[in-house]
Amino acid sequence: MDPLLRRRLEARFGERLTGPVRQRHDETEIRIGPGDVTDTMRALYDEPEFGFELLADLAGVDTGMEMQVVYHLWSSTTPDWLRVIAGGLSREDPRVPSVTFLWKGAEWMEREAYDMFGITFEGNRDLRRIYMPPDYQSFPLRKDFYLADDSARSPGGGVRHMEQTHAPRNAKPGALIRRSSS
Amino acid sequence: MTTTNPRYASADDPRVMLDEQAGVFEPVPPYPPRTEREAEFYTLRDGEMFINMGPQHPSTHGVLRVVLKLDGEKVVDLDPVLGYLHRGVEKLCENADYHQVISQVDPLEYVSSLYCEWPPVMAFEKLLDVEVPRRAEYIRVLSSELNRIASHALFMGWMALDLGGLTPILWSFIERDEIVEMLASLTGQRMLFNYFRIGGVNGDLNHEFMSRLGDWMSRATTQIEANLGVLNENEIFVRRMRGLGRIDTATALRMCMTGPNLRATGVPFDVRRAHPYSVFPELDFDIPTRDEGDCLARYLIRIDEIRQSIRIIDQCLHQMPDGPVMAKLPRLLRPRPGRAYAAVEGPRGQYAAYAISDGTDQPFRMRIHDPSFIHLQSVGLLTPGNLIADTMAVMASLDPIMGGVDK
Repeated sequence: MDPLLRRRLEARFGERLTGPVRQRHDETEIRIGPGDVTDTMRALYDEPEFGFELLADLAGVDTGMEMQVVYHLWSSTTPDWLRVIAGGLSREDPRVPSVTFLWKGAEWMEREAYDMFGITFEGNRDLRRIYMPPDYQSFPLRKDFYLADDSARSPGGGVRHMEQTHAPRNAKPGALIRRSSS
Repeated sequence: MTTTNPRYASADDPRVMLDEQAGVFEPVPPYPPRTEREAEFYTLRDGEMFINMGPQHPSTHGVLRVVLKLDGEKVVDLDPVLGYLHRGVEKLCENADYHQVISQVDPLEYVSSLYCEWPPVMAFEKLLDVEVPRRAEYIRVLSSELNRIASHALFMGWMALDLGGLTPILWSFIERDEIVEMLASLTGQRMLFNYFRIGGVNGDLNHEFMSRLGDWMSRATTQIEANLGVLNENEIFVRRMRGLGRIDTATALRMCMTGPNLRATGVPFDVRRAHPYSVFPELDFDIPTRDEGDCLARYLIRIDEIRQSIRIIDQCLHQMPDGPVMAKLPRLLRPRPGRAYAAVEGPRGQYAAYAISDGTDQPFRMRIHDPSFIHLQSVGLLTPGNLIADTMAVMASLDPIMGGVDK
């Protein structure tokens, strides 16, 4: 944990943060809205007090209630990983600005997030499916995408047999989505 | 359906093939372009043509299709098409319990599986606030550095094979096979080890492993130097590789490159030092860098890394503490809700895992970050302007593994 980084982040992005700066183990986490992604990432990349020049990871997340795009950044100015969560994207039409203007290598990671979650990255000039076939319609990593029930997996093998991993026919839409408040 | 052209006497005439539609071999997709970039790529200018490399081309190191846009023998642009090995590992992990994740992520990088197991295991340990016994950490470092040497040895063979040299892969398999057998006696498997556990490792060091390792360590340095002579002093190889696929530091960082490919451009970024984990702060090793950023630099830097790995293994053997190899944990893991990110330095770059727990026995979200995926996209940056044969050299020097690219 790096308390100095926390103070610097609070001082610089104070009004922009949508939640408190959280720190645990070697990670520092900030939350921003999707509209602030461009400015925040540019500031984190450019300003010498931050200097986060390596994008370590870009991931989409579906919490069951909203979509998030999670960036992990590395900088030599701090011993922590910085996690930037762009949250509050609607599940119907998730949109977030692309960070390919800073890291061109984010292009494929954004394509992957688009492929798996349907998140539209505005500004990515090659946003098409990367793993799934081009005529594929759904987004597999969303929480309302169920795996087919697999009889080969025994009830003791990690599948909770009381609950089902697939949606029963008569279930109300959205009733069985696994949700997380974190 | 075969349509017979009346110009030919029978349908068996080989010229019939020329008149038919190419079908599955057609590189241009049968739908209108979806993005600006796709529209630009699939528009031919005068004198240009498309050619498919893959999906089963031997130099793609797996099942990868690369659509090359050619002007004569010169590559103008290329478009890698992925997904042939996609299994949906992240979804499978969300539907498996925490222990099962380890065996799910194992086959991603099938030549260095221990590095795939490590980040998820580390992330789960962070979620659970478990302290791993020191002996287990040393065993992890020891076994994974062995795996790094095996992976780099195979890289050298592959690299030469893609350039048309058959001998080096036979040489590199000598080392690799010995290490793989050694790890098999430790973990029970030759390739997909399934060895790391949340809170430790699956089994303690055994006699067979130690005697094999001691035997190998006594001759490793000389043996590897001897093997290297086959390529390092080969003028054809060196002249072919030098100056090819050059990438500068700023571009490499912009392309999110990590690992040896980034260090070959002069950035001493190594997760083991940049963001220390496990027992690496206690170990003494150098981070080799090179400034050229070309294929030869990417090759030579891996050789330097093999030497450093041997140093690390030597120190691990001398400093190996006694004690348990597993932390005390319940069978059913239910971490408190939270998020954790863990990254390790693998033979190809930074492997990372990002796990979200919602308090149940299955991860809520499991993100796997693989360096092969990141590095493969810079092929499109390095290749244009070179010849077709150089595409393979560039791709081999970046060392992607398609299992990890496609997840």
